[in-house]
Amino acid sequence: MLTYILRRLGAGALLLGIVTMVTFVIFYGVPRMAGQTVEQLAAMYVGRAPTPAAIEATIERLNLDQPIAVQFWEFLKGIFIGADYQYGRDIVHCSAPCFGYSFQNNTEVFGEIVKRLPVTFSLAIGAGVLWLIGGVAVGVVSAIKKGSIFDRVAMGVALAGVSMPIFFTGLLALAFLVHSWKILPNASYTPFTENPVAWASGLFLPWVVLAFLHAAQYARQTRAGMLETMGEDYIRTARAKGLKERTVVLKHGLRPTLTPILTIFGLDIGLVLGGAVLTEQVFSLNGIGRYAVNAIAYKDLPVVLGVTLFGAIFIVVCNLLVDLLYPLVDPRVRAAH
Amino acid sequence: MTNPGTRTAGSGDPVVSVRDLSITFASMDGDVHAVKNLSFEVPAGGALGIVGESGSGKSVTSLALMGLHRGSKARMSGGLTVAGVDVVSAPDSRIRAMRGNDIAMVFQDPMSSLHPQYTIGNQLIEAYRTHRPKASAAEAKARSIDALERVGIPEPAKRINSYPHEFSGGMRQRVLIAMGLVCEPKVLLADEPTTALDVTVQAQILDLLDDLRQDLGMSLILVSHDLAVVAGSVDEVLVMKKGEAVERGDVRSVLSSPEHPYTRSLLAAVPRVEVSRAQRRAEVRADRAAAQQAAPQAEATPKGSVKDSGSGVAKGELLLSVTDVRQKFKVRGGMFGRTTDFYAVDGVSFDLYQGETLGIVGESGSGKSTLSRMVMRLLQPTEGSIVFEGNDITRLPERKLRPLRRDIQMIFQNPYSSLNPRLTVGDSIGTALRVQGEGDGKLIKRKVQELLERVGLEANHYNRFPHAFSGGQRQRIAIARALILNPKLVICDEPVSALDVSTQDQVLRLLSELQDDFDLTLIFVAHDLAVVRQVSDRVAVMRKGKVVEMGDGDAVYENPQHDYTKQLLAAAPILDPDEAKRQRSARQQLRKQVSAVV
Repeated sequence: MLTYILRRLGAGALLLGIVTMVTFVIFYGVPRMAGQTVEQLAAMYVGRAPTPAAIEATIERLNLDQPIAVQFWEFLKGIFIGADYQYGRDIVHCSAPCFGYSFQNNTEVFGEIVKRLPVTFSLAIGAGVLWLIGGVAVGVVSAIKKGSIFDRVAMGVALAGVSMPIFFTGLLALAFLVHSWKILPNASYTPFTENPVAWASGLFLPWVVLAFLHAAQYARQTRAGMLETMGEDYIRTARAKGLKERTVVLKHGLRPTLTPILTIFGLDIGLVLGGAVLTEQVFSLNGIGRYAVNAIAYKDLPVVLGVTLFGAIFIVVCNLLVDLLYPLVDPRVRAAH
Repeated sequence: MTNPGTRTAGSGDPVVSVRDLSITFASMDGDVHAVKNLSFEVPAGGALGIVGESGSGKSVTSLALMGLHRGSKARMSGGLTVAGVDVVSAPDSRIRAMRGNDIAMVFQDPMSSLHPQYTIGNQLIEAYRTHRPKASAAEAKARSIDALERVGIPEPAKRINSYPHEFSGGMRQRVLIAMGLVCEPKVLLADEPTTALDVTVQAQILDLLDDLRQDLGMSLILVSHDLAVVAGSVDEVLVMKKGEAVERGDVRSVLSSPEHPYTRSLLAAVPRVEVSRAQRRAEVRADRAAAQQAAPQAEATPKGSVKDSGSGVAKGELLLSVTDVRQKFKVRGGMFGRTTDFYAVDGVSFDLYQGETLGIVGESGSGKSTLSRMVMRLLQPTEGSIVFEGNDITRLPERKLRPLRRDIQMIFQNPYSSLNPRLTVGDSIGTALRVQGEGDGKLIKRKVQELLERVGLEANHYNRFPHAFSGGQRQRIAIARALILNPKLVICDEPVSALDVSTQDQVLRLLSELQDDFDLTLIFVAHDLAVVRQVSDRVAVMRKGKVVEMGDGDAVYENPQHDYTKQLLAAAPILDPDEAKRQRSARQQLRKQVSAVV
């Protein structure tokens, strides 16, 4: 078991290393390969009116004239031991996990991301819980009452849910629920520690909208899985023991169905944690996704790179968690390791 | 049970009473009558065997006894009472209270009938507490350990925390029986409880069921397609065909003087371990000659007329020579993911001569399938050599092997999964020709159709898909696929073990006819001793990767040298009820001896 955990951890770390390298090369190496000169590259970072001096300083600061391997090494050094940047005669120290500075407003990328993390976290956790519970519940009922009115309506809505993008459902919800009918307050973020009620009510709308999209997929998956599981021999055994149908479904049927869903959930949560770009944009929530969108608009490369890496980290970590949880859920996996 | 007086069969009121039971399923083509006007009774402590082929309605009947038809689209009429509960009309809650408490069921496939994600303890305790809601957790656990001990699970207090995948098939079936026993039901219903198991394990499970019936005074309903399985364990037999009872009566009289022709044909189909190959061959040939005389024009291949090639072993040329082959697999395990070597086949040698049949008998895990895969060169032996017609094919690369593939073909065990469901029968069979370089589509079609007729199917089956065929027909398709290339050697890996007894007999007859007609050399791998005896000139008994005994078929069967062979032979099911009971006590003796040696 210990070897299993260690192996998984090692694989995760290796994967992150590779992702970092590939991302770095895409942002700093590919433009050069495409024929951009170092000066052109630097000019993009300087801003609207690049003076030759400013360009020169930028090249110096980012080691743009060095080979890509050296640049990557400096970047890695920044992440693990921090980096010093020179602005004229001043030297600014950027401490340990240093992802560089935003070109736009000279703020530390890591700090900015950490500042926005609680927003994205709150959004992901709330929506995740909603879509998991909602989707699975609908899927189970649909499977048990296969062919009923409930099943047909639920699966129809699920199909619609999967097909409609957030900027459609989100804007629709804003227009009707918030502005026309005034049922729900507009989306806002209040830290949980300050006021849990305001936290929940402010995020309720984005949660529901984001959850709707995912719940639809979970409902369909659960229904299909449940239908398969309920045809298994061990379900017949459970019935032959004289168990109540509810026990048969919830104890014997649900667990095997949920096992593969756990895998998808890990991926989805990781993806949302890396920035629910559309949801945050639609509801003007200042999370990682929104930060990324702004950065892209301003070609703020260090920010884009930082956000991308964070997204990758979340996905790798969530997958790792799922892999580690899996043996607890399915004893057969334990035997295989 | 409280009343030891119920032990003697036939006394008291019946615990199970079925009167004029009919079960109908609505389908697209009208109603399907799965069970028609069935009546029987099982007295307290009595044992009934229900025998029939697949589709005879025996499984539908046993599900109905448990009330498990509820919620499906089945319609029921007639009377069905189990331990005083009217299964047809009682409310669901009453049925649930009956299931597991008054009547418990043991299912066919122990591998899939236990929940893989809960410990067996969890599943046993759950069964107990459902019917004894007042029982404490500790009491339920104690009862579960008792039940596991009763069915012969070693160290039950420890094993109760194990998961199903940590048990072998036979052990899982014991766990399922224990699960049935925890509430001390009045009736134990076993639906093909041994079909998925090895011969020796089958004998153990049947012995266990018999023991439990004697000790606990339970009634037993044993459902099987094989009369021989039922013979030693029941008092009464009910033979079913197409939903109807064709014969019912005392087991001795039904088996010794069957009245219905269907019962007689079922009896004739049961492979008997005491019938030698020569007898069997003579019988098949006689039947065939009679059939040809009756309909001389019907036979498509006049060349296949009966010719007496002399009885016994006619040694031809050396075709295959296997020397000391071993196959190593790496098994992951241990603390740090260390791998240990495991030899699935551990030093096997034999020679095979043109036209003979070598039977390989062994239980699951004995390495017989691995051995046949090596001869096929689907696996490369780790050590040793395989020489086919003078060519060493042990390490031949795939490209050079391809022309030789024409000469060695294989028939697989499970006809349901060995045919591609998306290919028509014609394509499945014809592909082999195409792969071997035949380009003429019309010629391929003609050859395939000829062969389809030869194996007992029809030429117009060419464009059908496998799902339209029964298990026996599918195995015929698989045989045609193996024969289309005119192979010299055909390896049959458990070709009939997934089939009903009567279908089994037909397929075996077909194989022996084809062997005569096509001059085939066969390696016949099976776990069923009787089947192997009937087809083999020589027999090799395998255990744990090694051949423990090899020799002339009749010699091995009549005068077994190795203890394991004796044990296997003792485990073979026997049709004579009294003889079966004698064997049962002999088995207990032998088991003690063998465990003492090990």
